[in-house]
Amino acid sequence: MKKLLSVLLSAALIGGLCAGCSKAPKEEGGDSGIEVSGEESEKSKTTLTFVQHMSGVITDELQAVLDEFEAETGIAVEMSSPGSDIEEVMKTRMASNTLPDLWTTHGWSVARYGEYLRPMNDQDFVEHIVPSIKDLITGPDGNIYVLPIDADICGISYNAEVLEDADVEPESILTWEDFEAACDKIKAIGKTPLFFDGKDPLAFGQFFDFVAPTLYTNNDDINRREEFLDGSFDWKDWREVCEILERWTKKGYLNTDALTADYATACQALGKGDAAFMLRNANVIVEAWTTSPDARLGILPIPGKDSDNPRCIIGGERLAVGIWKDSPHQEEALQLIEYLAQPEVCARLATAAGMPAGLDNAESDTGKLAPYYERVMSDDILTIPYFDREYLPSGMWDDLCVTGANIVAGNSGAIDETIEQMRQSYETKKAQQ
Amino acid sequence: MMKKRNKNIINLFYVPALILFSVFVIYPFIEGIRISFTNWNGYSQNYTYVGVKNYIQLFQDKNVRTALINTLIYGVGSTFLQNVIGLLYAVFLDSKFRGRMLVRTIIYLPVMIAPLVMGYIMYFLVQYDNGAINDILAVFGRQPVDWMNNGSRAVIIMTLINSLQFVGISMVIYMAGLQGIPGVYYEAAAIDGVSGFQAFRSITLPLLTPAITSAVVINLIGGLKLFDIIMALTMGGPGYSSHSLSTLITNQYFRAQNAGYSAAMGIGTFLLIMFISNVTMRYFDKKEVYS
Repeated sequence: MKKLLSVLLSAALIGGLCAGCSKAPKEEGGDSGIEVSGEESEKSKTTLTFVQHMSGVITDELQAVLDEFEAETGIAVEMSSPGSDIEEVMKTRMASNTLPDLWTTHGWSVARYGEYLRPMNDQDFVEHIVPSIKDLITGPDGNIYVLPIDADICGISYNAEVLEDADVEPESILTWEDFEAACDKIKAIGKTPLFFDGKDPLAFGQFFDFVAPTLYTNNDDINRREEFLDGSFDWKDWREVCEILERWTKKGYLNTDALTADYATACQALGKGDAAFMLRNANVIVEAWTTSPDARLGILPIPGKDSDNPRCIIGGERLAVGIWKDSPHQEEALQLIEYLAQPEVCARLATAAGMPAGLDNAESDTGKLAPYYERVMSDDILTIPYFDREYLPSGMWDDLCVTGANIVAGNSGAIDETIEQMRQSYETKKAQQ
Repeated sequence: MMKKRNKNIINLFYVPALILFSVFVIYPFIEGIRISFTNWNGYSQNYTYVGVKNYIQLFQDKNVRTALINTLIYGVGSTFLQNVIGLLYAVFLDSKFRGRMLVRTIIYLPVMIAPLVMGYIMYFLVQYDNGAINDILAVFGRQPVDWMNNGSRAVIIMTLINSLQFVGISMVIYMAGLQGIPGVYYEAAAIDGVSGFQAFRSITLPLLTPAITSAVVINLIGGLKLFDIIMALTMGGPGYSSHSLSTLITNQYFRAQNAGYSAAMGIGTFLLIMFISNVTMRYFDKKEVYS
């Protein structure tokens, strides 16, 4: 009896283990044992998996839209929001080639996710993509892989009251020299000119994304674009951008806790008027308004290298949704894309994100930021892509972040080390491609 | 014959554990070794074998050297503090007094908190703006300090936080050890006129060696693998200055997209922890005294 019990117990344990490790049952009809008839019943069992990177108000709105989609079509959407961990989540899933049916591409629809995404060129919404981002989300092969629900517009966020107190006219900041003059005036009235939330070093990566294009790639006549792309760029010339960060640090433009402050502290400082500028998109403004609703905050174009170079803003995809090319639910995923591309749905989501809509037939209500968006999207302001996404191999973002932190930390030889790390990392990442 | 068959059946019970161990430990470990010889970026379907290049780079990389030193500080520092304080707590709580259980619970309570949560709680203590410590300094008219902006100081602070969080584990181990020492030894020593400290040095400590071995090895491995608190407090920064090997491995795998190099670092860390743990265990094995 004991022997029999032992064998049965072992068999049960092994069986349980095997069941746990076995493949999940397919969702197509027949497997579940439920009687299926007609197309509607087939769809009603489909659950799309959707990974998105946004957090805050937009997540709730997105969930509400997906619930309405399910009510209308019978197709369920299981949304997961890993937030800032999306890079880790998606890289792991790409490595195992088990991607979700849909995901938001957080700026990487072409460079990183292009080979995994279904081209969307045949979709109706493509002709409505706003011109400011259309080129930025089009691959070299002419393919567009995502539905851009909103358009990322990234300029310098500022507190208008601090600038007024320091007698700085925002529109007069045309070059980096003007910007430094403004910082001097702000510092003179006892405020922090430029706030970095360096606990997460991405704040320093943003610095390079803001300043490097103005030095190396913005000028149509004299630029280093090809050198960055073909690998012939002499990294010794990277010193120029590093020296700007070093100079700003030495001149005391940065907050004392530039290396350790977190995002919430930064937003509060901007909202309360303790700091004048942040090199971040309007997200910081929306966040700052949650604690300082009456703060007068705005967006400024990024200054040019000198008066011969135009000011610019960084544009690109933000809340952009793509479909996995090998998804077993292509048809249902496309239905969701069509649903999201409806002008009223797109406008609703872009409004919740606090950004202009990514489609020209949808009008987002960006509230107090609307006049600033209108201003920075005017013809005299150049729209440029994120520097690291366009000119550096995927994976070099971390180098920008960490080397920037080293420079601000005032480590001896930080600039030389930065140059060497950028050179080495560029070569390593190029070899991976 | 019957005994042998029974033994075989009993051996069957190992099978599920062995399968789990193979799937979740042995297979990933072998895969890790394989990946460490490639230049894989961590997600692409393509990569090339680069021989021992990643291992050579390990010895040349200044950031690995910094992380290695930090890891040793996290490991050895935490072990030292946790064991000294844990032993003192245990000796103190071994005596009978009112509220003993409450004190024991309070000391052990932080162990129940996830280290990541502990890290975020501690951030509110050490942050520059509105941090509790700086608020206290302000009361005394002192200037605020940006505690975590210096890598070396951040490493010491995080070692302290880790030690204080997990000191309860050492305390419990030592309390169990103390309860296992027969009272007759102390009685005999008292008759011989031995002082309290002498009794502690000559009776308590030698007989606690098995407990010390357990506590030291557990704390050492925990300290050498320190991860969550670093991620919550500094993310390894400023720059790479407060990274441990564990956080640097994650950084290199996901952020820097150097999965091959990260795997090589992982193998190196495994060997290091195995070596240190073994040396420690052998050392304490020789010292063990049985009552």
